[in-house]
Amino acid sequence: MDAVFMIDFLGATVRIATPILMAAMGGILIERSGTFAVGLEGMMLSGAFCGVVGAFLSGSIVGGLLAAGLGGLLFGLIIAIATTKFDTEHMVTGLAANLLALGLTSFVLRTVVGGGKAPVIHIPLLQPVAVPILADIPVVGALLFRQPPLTYLAFVGVIAISIFLRRTRGGLLLAASGENPLAVFAAGTDPIHVRFAALLAGGAIAGLAGAVLSLQQIGTFTDGMTGGRGYMALAAVIVGRWLPLGTLAGCIMFGATEAMQLRAQAFNLPVSSYVIQMVPYLAALLVLAGLGRTARLPSAIGQPFRRD
Amino acid sequence: MTVAAIVSQRAAWRDTLAWRVVLSVVWSLVVTGILILMAGKNPFVAYQHIVLGAFGSWPRVVVGLNKAAPYMLAGVGVALCFRGNVANMGAEGQIAMGGLAASVAALIGANALGAAVLPAALIAGVLGGAAWAAIAAAINLARGVHEVLVTLMMNFIAWLIVAEFLHGPMGEIDAGFPQTPMFENVAWLPKLVARTDLHIGIVIAILAAVVAHVVLWRTVTGFRWRLAGASDKAAHYAGVSRARSVFGLMLVSGVLSGMAGAIEVLGVHYRLIEGFSLGFGFNAIAIALLATLKPLWVIPAALFFAFLETGALSMQRQIGIPSSLVLVIQGLSLIFVLCAIGRGARRI
Repeated sequence: MDAVFMIDFLGATVRIATPILMAAMGGILIERSGTFAVGLEGMMLSGAFCGVVGAFLSGSIVGGLLAAGLGGLLFGLIIAIATTKFDTEHMVTGLAANLLALGLTSFVLRTVVGGGKAPVIHIPLLQPVAVPILADIPVVGALLFRQPPLTYLAFVGVIAISIFLRRTRGGLLLAASGENPLAVFAAGTDPIHVRFAALLAGGAIAGLAGAVLSLQQIGTFTDGMTGGRGYMALAAVIVGRWLPLGTLAGCIMFGATEAMQLRAQAFNLPVSSYVIQMVPYLAALLVLAGLGRTARLPSAIGQPFRRD
Repeated sequence: MTVAAIVSQRAAWRDTLAWRVVLSVVWSLVVTGILILMAGKNPFVAYQHIVLGAFGSWPRVVVGLNKAAPYMLAGVGVALCFRGNVANMGAEGQIAMGGLAASVAALIGANALGAAVLPAALIAGVLGGAAWAAIAAAINLARGVHEVLVTLMMNFIAWLIVAEFLHGPMGEIDAGFPQTPMFENVAWLPKLVARTDLHIGIVIAILAAVVAHVVLWRTVTGFRWRLAGASDKAAHYAGVSRARSVFGLMLVSGVLSGMAGAIEVLGVHYRLIEGFSLGFGFNAIAIALLATLKPLWVIPAALFFAFLETGALSMQRQIGIPSSLVLVIQGLSLIFVLCAIGRGARRI
């Protein structure tokens, strides 16, 4: 196995991990505030769709990114209204939102945008931007500092959310709403508002995760193009014990296993590609089972908050 | 009867779950209708074509009934699980494994077993689904991993196992599509009505819903499940073991979903094909919720979903409105139903 192959492999790992990582960062905000983030898949899909349509209609990539964030936010809003105003069960609400996103994107693409049939839209991809000086470091430079913008955003987001959750008043309130909403209420903030805001912010971030796929990696929208990455992001959040850095590790693991699967032939593995495709899911299950009960959920997650 | 009494009676009627569910479905049709308008089509024409496509002729009704059978079976399993506070998202994988196991039995047993191959294949399907559910329950109980995650992950693995079998040992050579060779005639599920495609799956499914209803409301086991779902504390004080009810409920869901997978391959396709059950398990969750977790109500809810889907496919062919409209209606009605019943479903 030579260096060129290794660099290619690591590059693919980063590429595959990026959309999952971005969605997982949104997922952390949502879950830490006390809502199960099963709807990540739908937020991502909506973001991917709105990103492409927005970029197509506005003719600018910034318009696309803005639309992607709004598309994810829209599904965050739907889930927020259902779970906070109507006390719906979080898991099923998320699942329903995913179903709705799958149908709505496919339907609107064909009718409103395409006028009867699926239109052919190609958006020029977001191009890699080299960080001055750092990009010239051998190997690492090309791998980490010659990436498209959303990749930087995802990795910087890990640090930003880490600091936000530990060091800011808002972050502490958010985490407290997931652990002990009554204490938050006693301190003068309505935990319901915190959860609502977290769903909106998390939705927008997950929408950008969809844009990573559609605007940065593929350049168009196809039905159900997120293909379960939202669920992978959810698993990564839990594998990472609801911490940004741990979640980053989980995403890199998923990215590496998938990158390995794509290069199965080169590795000369004695199993079929389907068995290798199982590896990320098996790995997630194993890590979860290994963590066992220490992988403690935010204690008030999934519970409605009532003042009385 | 005084006016006040009539009014309060009417209010009580409006307060029933059934009324709220119907209203939610109507609202979802209204919102979807607005979408169709935005697409420049007439929603009434679209809905008319869905109804015609679903009920327009006897063969169409048969397609809908056959489609409803696996939804009903898996939906009943999910409804029981949710009632017992087990968030089982794994029907999808259990159906896939049931179909796989039934297909293996049907292909291997055709020569050796003769006419006994059909019951053998059905039992294999049931066991396949149950085994898959049991693994999930075991991981959940032994290691405390949340059941939603275990079952979701295992769905992906189940799909890949089916793909592995179809691209490997069981695949039909030169078929051009990942599928097994066709089963022998003896392994086919009998028809309910001669010279139609209607197989006995719908009868099995309705029976399952009725049995589940009786077990849930008339037996000690059912009471334990309801207690476990209503309150952890109460169940604990009453000496009801959480682990036992989780394992039992998951097994029941596995059995029913495995049966759903088996009747789909033995009754509709007569072979295992890739993606034969894609989305069935998630539909089952939606159907269970639409039925407000009542096993008997799963029957109409499953029929609604099935006929909606067959009708929409025909609508797409006839007037060119994409059939993904169905997903919109399903997703919206599920969200509206969830909002309308709040957390009430499990308590009532």
